Amino acid sequence: MEKKQYIPFGSEDQQEEKQEQVVTNIQQLGQTNIPQMTQDTAIHCLTIIGQIEGHIQLPPQNKATKYEHVIPQIVAIEQNSNIEGLLVILNTVGGDVEAGLAIAEMLASLSKPTVSIVLGGGHSIGVPIAVSCDYSFITETATMTIHPVRLTGLVIGVPQTFEYLDKMQERVVRFVTKHSKITEEKFKELMFSKGNLTRDIGTNVVGPDAVQYGLIDEVGGVAQALQKLRQLIEWKKEGGTMLQ
Amino acid sequence: MILYTIMPEHLIFPVDEQAYTKQQVIYYDGIPFLVQETETKEWEIVRNLSTNPAHFLEQKYAPGARFPLSTITS
Repeated sequence: MEKKQYIPFGSEDQQEEKQEQVVTNIQQLGQTNIPQMTQDTAIHCLTIIGQIEGHIQLPPQNKATKYEHVIPQIVAIEQNSNIEGLLVILNTVGGDVEAGLAIAEMLASLSKPTVSIVLGGGHSIGVPIAVSCDYSFITETATMTIHPVRLTGLVIGVPQTFEYLDKMQERVVRFVTKHSKITEEKFKELMFSKGNLTRDIGTNVVGPDAVQYGLIDEVGGVAQALQKLRQLIEWKKEGGTMLQ
Repeated sequence: MILYTIMPEHLIFPVDEQAYTKQQVIYYDGIPFLVQETETKEWEIVRNLSTNPAHFLEQKYAPGARFPLSTITS
């Protein structure tokens, strides 16, 4: 019964040949199940969930997005001509700055239309990833925490560490302001504001507010995101140039 | 006990080395999966890492599904 799936209707000779092939497969591999790829879908979906893992491997009980997984996938998407667009789904608490920025830069430089959607949370380093796509959505209840870069001293010496962190933060600010409509002043204001987070500086921005600040393009769900992506794909086919 | 610290949790409470080796990423039918080995010498899917949404509709690629150790494609 299983076999039928792998034997398409054809001439008798072909049928026999196929049958023989199945027999050899049983003999060699001990199974009839020939690995077969499902057809490529035009729109692929990349999920950025849990923590964004950097240089230190997180214990397996943490849900993590590893850049050594994500980056080859983005390269594969860029190379595969059957893939026309990419939907990026975010529900992340943030994580490693370098890894997050690497993913964001990869997405920003992808030649295919990309749409991101923030569900639940797109905190911390999730912010640059959300804005790196051609168009971004956020659901009504989703939140994004904007806060300064925090790190547990990697560089020896206090002034050096401070400068290092300051430069790292500058990269995040520059990336976000370049890829979204938010101004540097507004973004920094949100980043350094006091009294919003318990015992911390920064702001927790809820869906519609993120749109109002110009950080995200629109409030919406999966339907709107896919509709926008299809629109962008159509537009690209007609020869339009991509806008950020 | 409440620890007020900026140190990440995994630095304060390091996890057993063995926990890292339990799970690994393998390719099955050309699709990347995060798997763990079961007692019956099979791989059990923990997470499907594919970007192709069609792969998530197939029962045999769903988390919890098992396949023999020998069927890895790369």
